[in-house]
Amino acid sequence: MNSGQARQTVITGIGVIAPNGVGTEAFWKSTQAGISVLDRVTREGCEHLPLRVAGEVRDFDPGALIEERYLVQTDRFTHFAMAAADLALDDARLGRADYEGSPFAVGVVTAAGSGGGEFGQRELQRLWGQGSRFVGPYQSIAWFYAASTGQVSIRGGFKGPCGVVASDEAGGLDAFAHAARAIRRGTDAVVVGAAEAPLAPYSVVCQLGYEDLSGCEDPTRAYRPFTSDACGFVPAEGGAMLVVEEEAAARRRGARPRALVAGHAATFTGPSKWERSREGLAHAIRGALAEAQCAPEEVDVVFADALGVPEADRAEALAIVDALGEHGRRVPVTAPKTGTGRAYCGGPVLDTAAAVLAMEHGLVPPTPNVFEVCHDLDVVTGKARPAQLRTALVLSRGLMGSNAALVLRGATDTPS
Amino acid sequence: MSDRLTLEELAALMKKGAGLTVDPVDLASRPLARFDEFGLDSLGLLGIVGELENRHGRPLPPDADRCKTPQEFLDLVNNTLMTGA
Repeated sequence: MNSGQARQTVITGIGVIAPNGVGTEAFWKSTQAGISVLDRVTREGCEHLPLRVAGEVRDFDPGALIEERYLVQTDRFTHFAMAAADLALDDARLGRADYEGSPFAVGVVTAAGSGGGEFGQRELQRLWGQGSRFVGPYQSIAWFYAASTGQVSIRGGFKGPCGVVASDEAGGLDAFAHAARAIRRGTDAVVVGAAEAPLAPYSVVCQLGYEDLSGCEDPTRAYRPFTSDACGFVPAEGGAMLVVEEEAAARRRGARPRALVAGHAATFTGPSKWERSREGLAHAIRGALAEAQCAPEEVDVVFADALGVPEADRAEALAIVDALGEHGRRVPVTAPKTGTGRAYCGGPVLDTAAAVLAMEHGLVPPTPNVFEVCHDLDVVTGKARPAQLRTALVLSRGLMGSNAALVLRGATDTPS
Repeated sequence: MSDRLTLEELAALMKKGAGLTVDPVDLASRPLARFDEFGLDSLGLLGIVGELENRHGRPLPPDADRCKTPQEFLDLVNNTLMTGA
């Protein structure tokens, strides 16, 4: 990710499967309009559970997008990843003809917070209900948090470096660093991102122990970071996959670089210690800016982690100012995820997609459901704010204590 | 179920267990083609072995899930499960 003569990583394709839109166009339309799709949980078997509000992906028909063998053999989180990868590859116009002569030039990296909970629950119910002989063999791979990387690579015929980042929610950003490293070492393209499917009974029950989960039953009040009403976060399903490429390789095949993956850094400050995330997040921001050779004043927009827990919001607001100085109080800060919920590792990848789209459209999307901000930050609320955006900073933290920052630079030759 | 495993039943098992749509006529016309040519991987075959064992309440030989072709698998199943009843 170093600028200069090193091999640079650019984003050439975006594929989104989000609660507020399947497909990048639908996602951006809802995101820039500030539409909130948080709603009652309706997924089968979840209705009676004490998690009331979530961001469900309701416009997704896996049967229309995924071959039947993968419907049977993989979990919903992998269906999301496959469909998002298809959209990203289409968007990048990267087809089999481009890489079938050099399949080792394309890799896959995903991040995952859990894995195939719905598939795993079904097979475990067979285990305890009927016995071990009734557990299907595909359980051995479908539940696994590495499944999406494996299946996307098999399905696409990608034989380049593959990886799975299991570093908590912020792993969604770490995946881009992992992909950029592969590109620096010689890989031409990486399909990278994360998608999660945590809205199934077993998976929801696992989350009920998170003290930071919002217990509010009103979808408009359940997730309000940076306000005095902050009462936790709302989970979501879905995510995004992107195509990143070595800049010269992308240009050689006529692809349009949409943004530069300019810098990244990650830190760890321990679970349930939000106060300490201030120092960790600030350190990650400084590291990402240093790698991007970016001065704090150059940051034009911040996509905040915005956990919605007062102590965590305070730590993030302070971290932004610690790292960016006075500029941190003036730079537009947004958290479009308040309209969709947090899709764990998919969350920061959706923010990365939104950041690229924001730079392309010259528009900072708003933070739905957030009105009166009680921190010293310029949080964009209400409606989108027009602004010339050359550099975006995306932040993410995980419940287990990881912090990460990613710096994106807009493409300099993007047609207006 | 008939007393012998047929290609139609094998195709149905491939559909149910691995999500593969395979024409029994195609299976019959290419008796030496390998399972992987029909899209069935080793986990898929393992699932079919388990399904047959559960249906019949008795085990297949340990090498059942190592059969390479539909014909080889049919012969093995029909020579053990079906005749040993």
